[in-house]
Amino acid sequence: MSERKKLLEVKNISVVFGSRKKAFTAVDDVSFDIYEGETFGLVGESGSGKTTIGRAIIRINAITSGEIIFEDERISGKIDKKKDKKVVQDIQMIFQDPMSSLNERAKVDYIVSEGLYNLKNYANDAERKKIVDEALLEVGLLPEFSSRFPHEFSGGQRQRIGIARSLVMQPKFIIADEPISALDVSIRAQVLNLMNRLKKDLGLTYLFIAHDLSIVRFITDRVGVIHKGRLVELAETEELYNNPLHPYTRSLLSAIPMPNPNYEKSRKVIFYDPDQHHYDIEAPKWVEIKKGHFILANQPEIDTYKTMLESNIKGE
Amino acid sequence: MKLKTHDRLVEHIADDLFEFANADTDNSEIAGYSNYSYWRSTVQVFLKNKTAVLFLGVIVILLLFTMIQPVLPNQKDPTFIHINPETFMQFRNVKPGTEFWFGTNAIGQDLWARIWSGTRTSLLIGFAVGLFEVVIGIIIGTLWGYVKKLDRIITEIYNVWNNIPTTVILILLTYIFRPSLSTLIFAMAITGWLSMARLVRNLVTIIRDREYNMASRCLGTPTYRILTKNMLPYLVSVIMLRVALAIPMAIGAEVFLTYIGLGLPVQIPSLGNLVNEGRVLMMSQSLRYQLFFPAIVISMITISFYVMGNAFADAADPKNHV
Ligand SMILES: Nc1ncnc2c1ncn2[C@@H]1O[C@H](COP(=O)(O)OP(=O)(O)OP(=O)(O)O)[C@@H](O)[C@H]1O
Ligand SMILES: [Mg+2]
Repeated sequence: MSERKKLLEVKNISVVFGSRKKAFTAVDDVSFDIYEGETFGLVGESGSGKTTIGRAIIRINAITSGEIIFEDERISGKIDKKKDKKVVQDIQMIFQDPMSSLNERAKVDYIVSEGLYNLKNYANDAERKKIVDEALLEVGLLPEFSSRFPHEFSGGQRQRIGIARSLVMQPKFIIADEPISALDVSIRAQVLNLMNRLKKDLGLTYLFIAHDLSIVRFITDRVGVIHKGRLVELAETEELYNNPLHPYTRSLLSAIPMPNPNYEKSRKVIFYDPDQHHYDIEAPKWVEIKKGHFILANQPEIDTYKTMLESNIKGE
Repeated sequence: MKLKTHDRLVEHIADDLFEFANADTDNSEIAGYSNYSYWRSTVQVFLKNKTAVLFLGVIVILLLFTMIQPVLPNQKDPTFIHINPETFMQFRNVKPGTEFWFGTNAIGQDLWARIWSGTRTSLLIGFAVGLFEVVIGIIIGTLWGYVKKLDRIITEIYNVWNNIPTTVILILLTYIFRPSLSTLIFAMAITGWLSMARLVRNLVTIIRDREYNMASRCLGTPTYRILTKNMLPYLVSVIMLRVALAIPMAIGAEVFLTYIGLGLPVQIPSLGNLVNEGRVLMMSQSLRYQLFFPAIVISMITISFYVMGNAFADAADPKNHV
């Protein structure tokens, strides 16, 4: 476990929008690592700052404080041209809404080639075409599609065009911001399976952003739970689902519907009330409560969580 | 009862008439292949609008005619003052007839020749001002809307510039320079691009933060290519409408400037000068033809561009492509 290489380190980042008077902290002192080859999930309700974190990593949003390290090099703040080019190539993004993430006035050929034009890493036009065709085949689309415009495709196909567009960069790390939540339920699995296959074939690492926990369990290795810009709990996926400690995590989990009527009958939705914490008396810290299981808590809470963990283990 | 007949019917249908249509994912991807081209569809939709095509024809004919008119046979010089050889008097206010097709004006110049010469001048003004407005307006507008660093400074410049009344700028310019065709074009152009730039800026700020532009930034696309490939194609329809309106507006502005005495010198025939000359004689019924003919030409130009601009704006919107 410990020998696994850290691909991305997010260190105490904060993102503040707006000027001093109307400042709004969208991301507050968030830290996590992503290991090479894993799928790291980020869950939280709408407006909790998930997209902002993803965009901070890919440098669309500037961070106010903290550091982002990729392959042992700082990529946040000012970086030189060479490193910039490398980061552009290595980190790519899949967007939430396939309807707005493709340029409607460009052909698929241009959309998929866009990154290649920027890198100029091909010898001639025939080679560029070949790369585009391969990328389209890779995501299960036909090379002939390159002469068409986006509006001729379905949502799932458009999302795959978006994936092909990032694949031509040969990235190492892909940020997928709710890549299936805008898709029809029937084609969600298709896109998820494609992402899983690409991960295996190309050795990719994912940051998978989602707002519901049911999909996250299916696709991620580790999960971070975020609430109002703060990370509240982080653990391996199975650990988090079996031993959810933070009340916010437990309320999220309690909201997942199950295809099991007996369970559904007894399912109680837990409501999360942030006032239960008494953080004005003692401020919380980010602590590793169990190996690989982190939580945001103050000392009295740490004690209760520990007893919860022990009773859970006994109960099993 | 009915059910039974139905069952019997079903029994009599031979199985070999039917075959299973199996779902084939590869085929479903191929289906619906089309060879869509944005500009071809735009032109097709435009050509379907018969009124617009008619006015396009009017403008094309008008343009061609103003260009070839001087070399046609039996044409007169627009500034030559015709003198009656018998009385040695000028042919003043001659009614339209076989010699002077559109009559003559108060000092004996041939109106037919003057109208086409004037239309030529006015169209030149219209196209020059329109072109300048579009080029400068689009360049400044896209930078203004897209490059956040430039927003403050361009907004400041715009506010200052926009608060000086256009007429004041024009009066100043015509006093500084001698009134001439290029002065007039320059004066109208440096004030005209403002509203175009603001329009483009507003459109750009609306589409700037759409996800496909984020995607381009993630791919490291340089700003100029984001502007030309991601922004401008979305603005085509609105810009075309503005261009179409800018031309008749410039022609109209020239008429207005002539009216307030800031237009072209009287030696240069233009629609503005012609309307102005005609306006003076409007009260006398027998001389109204002198206002009538230039007014018709202006109306035709304005209406044609307006209709064409609207039709093209609709056609350039891919939502209207089938
Ligand atoms: N450019 C911006 N300027 C100001 N505020 C912003 C900006 N972008 C995001 N925010 C605010 O930051 C907060 C976090 O937004 P973010 O988009 O990261 O949430 P999210 O977790 O991705 O939500 P969702 O599940 O709805 O996508 C929101 O309250 C949002 O209004
Ligand atoms: Mg989001």
